[in-house]
Order: sequence, then structure tokens, then C-alpha cells
Amino acid sequence: MSLVGTFLRRLFAGKSESALLPVGSVAPAFAVQDHMGRTVQLADLRGRRVVLWFFPKASTPG
Amino acid sequence: MVLGASFDTAEANRRFATEEAFPYPLLCDVDRRLGLSYKACANASDDYPRRITYVIGADSRIEQAITTKDPGGQADSILASL
Repeated sequence: MSLVGTFLRRLFAGKSESALLPVGSVAPAFAVQDHMGRTVQLADLRGRRVVLWFFPKASTPG
Repeated sequence: MVLGASFDTAEANRRFATEEAFPYPLLCDVDRRLGLSYKACANASDDYPRRITYVIGADSRIEQAITTKDPGGQADSILASL
């Protein structure tokens, strides 16, 4: 039982960890300040392709 | 259009942008709202977002959703796919 439980926990942990927004879904609206204090809104970028890249921490590799 | 995003302050990201000469905005998601809505983190108390990248189409739909395993090689593969 505990082995099955461990397996299932790992299975679901792995799934929730890897879950991203589905391809084809509408990108969530956002308005976020950038490093120069400008507000960047997704709505203002409609009509352009956007690459949104999350990085863990400033001034670290990758 | 490329947008970087992290949970850093504007000051930390200004320094990073200067060091790396990034020509594009670095979003300072200090309250994690962007990270939460894009599944880059699970909780507003998380220290760091995951290394993930989205390509959002001109129609505001998700075109690609990528978990980065090779930060150095990712940019080339994404650019090649566009």
C-alpha cells in the first residue's frame, strides 16, 4: 500500500510540476512593471508575437 | 517582442539588464501574480519562478509552452521554430 501511495504521489507531483498553460489557450492578461518602471501590458502587444521567458534570478546564469 | 520575467526588484533587474546588455524589458513580478497565472510558480511565497518560456501568438493565444532544460541552447531552438 505504501509503495502504491508513494508511486501515486510521485506521479501526481510530477504532473503538477510539469503542467503549463495549454497550447491554443488564451494567454492570461497581465500588466507588470519592467526594470525601467514602465508598465508592460499584454493587451498592448496584441498583433505581435511575444516570447515570455521566466528566469529564476537576476545576475545568475541561465 | 521578447519579455524576460523574474520575481526580482526593478533595481536587481536593471543591474542584470545592464550586465547582460538585454535589449528588451525584464518584468519585475515581485507579487508573483504573473508567475502564478502562467504556472511559473505554485505559490505567492515561492522564491523563484521555474525556467519556462511561452510563445504567445499575435492573437494572444499560447503557441508554444516550453520547460527549459538547456538554458544556453533554448534561444536558438525557439528562434528556429518561429
